[in-house]
Amino acid sequence: METQIKETQGNVVSIENPGIIAPADWQPVIMGILCNWCSYAGSDLTGTSRTQYPPNIRIIRVPCSSRVDPWFIIKSLQTTADGVLVSGCHPGDCHYIAGNYYARRRFLVIKKLLNFVGYHENRVQFSWVSAAEGPKFAKVVQKVTDDIKKLGPLHKYKKENLK
Amino acid sequence: MDYTKQIQEIATKLFSDGKIDIFIGYRKNSFDDNQVPVLITHPADISRLVFDDKSVFNLTNYLKFENTRNKRVGIIVKGCDSRALNMLMTENQVKRQNLYVIGICCTGVLNEQGEKAQNCLECVMPDAVVYDEILGTPSGKKEYIVNADVKTLAAQGLVERGEYFQDIFENCIRCNACRHSCPLCYCEKCCIDQETSALYNGANTVSSAFHALMTWSLHLAGRCVDCRNCEKACPSHLPLHLLHKQNEMVIYENFQHHLAGMEKDDRGAFYKYSLSDPDDFIL
Repeated sequence: METQIKETQGNVVSIENPGIIAPADWQPVIMGILCNWCSYAGSDLTGTSRTQYPPNIRIIRVPCSSRVDPWFIIKSLQTTADGVLVSGCHPGDCHYIAGNYYARRRFLVIKKLLNFVGYHENRVQFSWVSAAEGPKFAKVVQKVTDDIKKLGPLHKYKKENLK
Repeated sequence: MDYTKQIQEIATKLFSDGKIDIFIGYRKNSFDDNQVPVLITHPADISRLVFDDKSVFNLTNYLKFENTRNKRVGIIVKGCDSRALNMLMTENQVKRQNLYVIGICCTGVLNEQGEKAQNCLECVMPDAVVYDEILGTPSGKKEYIVNADVKTLAAQGLVERGEYFQDIFENCIRCNACRHSCPLCYCEKCCIDQETSALYNGANTVSSAFHALMTWSLHLAGRCVDCRNCEKACPSHLPLHLLHKQNEMVIYENFQHHLAGMEKDDRGAFYKYSLSDPDDFIL
């Protein structure tokens, strides 16, 4: 059962805490954790080919999508991020042969667990983007940003001294 | 389920044959609730050993401490405990040749209210899977049942569920008893401790409890055997099984009915993969 997405007078309401309302021009912060060999190169291609995509994403480069500890995602949500995008090579394309297959298992469990403790399922998203898929990367970031703009600001379990 | 006599006989025999240095069992509490674990090093103390429906704790937890490491140990295991023992052996934490394992065909233990415990009602493997000697009649593997609490919570809305868990994380006092009581948490340095460092955002906040419990449950995903030592140890009586059972359910449904510790040399769901794992949630 999913909660209805509310919009009140142009303001954005946080879906997890309906009491929290942000102004209509609120911009989310999205943590992008990209694999060095495919998605990071893909995002580079998006930039060099001058494709426009939302500037809300902050990119971290990791060696492989299986380097992504669940801790990175939890940490991002605890600090400034309103959403997380983890991206790696397509299945079968992993530079380390099978890293993304291991990562895929972990991602499913993390996504379901975060949803279980009260995060909307679109807060944490995963994608496969290869080094040749510049336009796809732009599309993915656009989709994730649109999704998270609808969900509103994240105020769950934030560190208190980070304002 | 009362094997007190048999266990005392076996322990006496093991000590007189010189097969073991320490025997880990249960003894009677001063109050009439759960039996408490006891480590016996001298045959004179064998009369203190008991085993009945109130022997709830998972004794494999005591294999990770200094006084039992690299010693010959006799131990009592129920179904869930033997799965934890399997995991510990696979992860090279204990040596099989150092152990003398008394397996029990468990019929379920009692909770604080004197009823059959929830994890025993939903138990998949009541018989010990690792043993040198088995007591009772094996009843075989049972069908997997999704935890009732997880089912109820999953049917609720996102906001209500969020508030329920907010309450849990607020009540956590970060004593780390869950971690110490868990047989599969044996790392000398634990990554959740960095959140408590004074340099790093102070100690006990809801945020740090969220971080600690989530990271802890994800480190146990695919390894947790549902013995509920953590829940029995928790001074705030938090329903910690919710996180573990949720992960176990997702893993069971999506990754070829994987259950931790059922087979020898199975390192857990995250140490292997299948090409047909679900992919539909990935963009």
